[in-house]
Amino acid sequence: MASQSNDPRLPSAARPYKQPVVAPQDLPIDYSGFVAVIFGVFGAMFRYKVCSWLAIIFCAQSLANMRNIENDLKQISMAMM
Amino acid sequence: MAKRSSSSFLISPLSLPPQGRCFPLPVRPSLLFLPLLHHLSASPTSSRPHFEGFDAEEDEDFAPKADDIQSPPSDQSPKPASTSAFEYWDEDEFEGIPQNVISTPENEGVPESDGAGSESDPSPSSENLDKDPKSDVKFLKRLGSYSVEIACVSFLIVFTINYFTGKRENENLALAWASKFATKDSIFDKNFSLLGVGDTDDSPLLLQEGKNVFKFYASGRRFCSGLLATMELKSRHDLISRLYNMVVPCKDEITFEVYMNDDAMDQVVFALARKKLAKTMQKELRDLQRLAGLVNPPNGRKWVADELQIVAESKEVAGDLITDAVLEQVFGDKAFDKFGKGFISMHFSDQYLGSNKKMLVFKFALPDANHMADMTRLVALVPYYIDLIGRYKLSSHARSKTDAARTKIAQEIYRELQNARQEVLQKKKAEQRKKLEEAEAKLSAEALRKKEAKDRARQMKKAMPKMKMTRAH
Repeated sequence: MASQSNDPRLPSAARPYKQPVVAPQDLPIDYSGFVAVIFGVFGAMFRYKVCSWLAIIFCAQSLANMRNIENDLKQISMAMM
Repeated sequence: MAKRSSSSFLISPLSLPPQGRCFPLPVRPSLLFLPLLHHLSASPTSSRPHFEGFDAEEDEDFAPKADDIQSPPSDQSPKPASTSAFEYWDEDEFEGIPQNVISTPENEGVPESDGAGSESDPSPSSENLDKDPKSDVKFLKRLGSYSVEIACVSFLIVFTINYFTGKRENENLALAWASKFATKDSIFDKNFSLLGVGDTDDSPLLLQEGKNVFKFYASGRRFCSGLLATMELKSRHDLISRLYNMVVPCKDEITFEVYMNDDAMDQVVFALARKKLAKTMQKELRDLQRLAGLVNPPNGRKWVADELQIVAESKEVAGDLITDAVLEQVFGDKAFDKFGKGFISMHFSDQYLGSNKKMLVFKFALPDANHMADMTRLVALVPYYIDLIGRYKLSSHARSKTDAARTKIAQEIYRELQNARQEVLQKKKAEQRKKLEEAEAKLSAEALRKKEAKDRARQMKKAMPKMKMTRAH
């Protein structure tokens, strides 16, 4: 009894980790990707090369920040366009 | 003469070299071409200013020579091309050119010889020869017009370098934490039978999510079903947020979420944080807002450090959870100065919002990788409180109070739900009524129209015989 109270471990109660499933629409908003799209549109519409370059930079940022590949690659490929 | 050649070069030959020069620039394939192509395909008005700059400079090169050539034969016939070129003349553009060259418009007004045509033809070739010594200067100038591209490409290069170094830094920090607290004979190994995110013992300890979030899972302990530690590190891999964090500093944080067993936690709502944060927590977290209030330090007892504020359901809970051992180890005045730097907040609740209702949440700031031992006492709080809360039982008096509060809340929630349901019902009813009314209105409109038509027909009928009658009369 004493040994039991000293050792708090309970192997029988161990439950393996379950990763919570996150729906794609619940993901945090990819602000940099959004900004990239906006800059891209501006760059194409008004032919400001600075805008297009900024779009590329923010695109790189969203690429660096992406969490899981399947969900984000879609959005990023959209931003690339 | 100089102007004529300058004007003839204004568009055709000079607009080509930049194009040729820019293509080697983009290293990445399809991606980087886009903005460049946009720019190059842009209207000539946008590109002209750059090229005019080059013109002025080229004029400097060969203008004196052209002057030499043309000034002796002053009786040359005027050339139509040269007169058209005057329109491009701009004093400001040719500042560096000697006065006599600028005055050539007057000279050229004098008739030139027919030989001028043959003389003007070789001038481009001679200009090409002159170009070479000054070509590096020109190159620099041309480079200047690509300053945006240069800046952006170099930023991207720095960005990629930073991406890899920052990623490594974050990983090192997370591994330093794991090796300090989750390896054999460490705090978590002594308290939990299962460590890591997998099923087996040799599974990885940390789960990486993104580049700056690491998760550590542990399970198999009395009173709780599991513990999830989430390390949210600074976005070191992202140069832009790194620059942003220079202005708005943030910390590496670790959050321990302990999922308590339902039978192992009494009705406790308790939070502890620095004063400002405690007040915002009290306002923003629903369970604290509904059930708990700020607790003032009691008289005649050792209490937590002055910077800290307790939010709890009752004084009794606060007094029982702040034990002497905890005060001595971390939260007392002296100990907190030493070990409390990394402490952010602590929140225990049996009414937590989320999948598991009974939760203990600890938030600490991570020290840097070399000073992980600094937070040992803070991490030791986690198993300590699991045991303390697992064994804790409220007194019957407090218990009845908390029961009352919880039934009240449950009623409130039920009432809210019912209200919402009723609202939905009422809305539906209203919509139905509206539909019915509309249908009625439609029907009645149609009926009205029919009635009117009938009436008209009747009147017509009535009128007709009258007409006949009158005719008959």
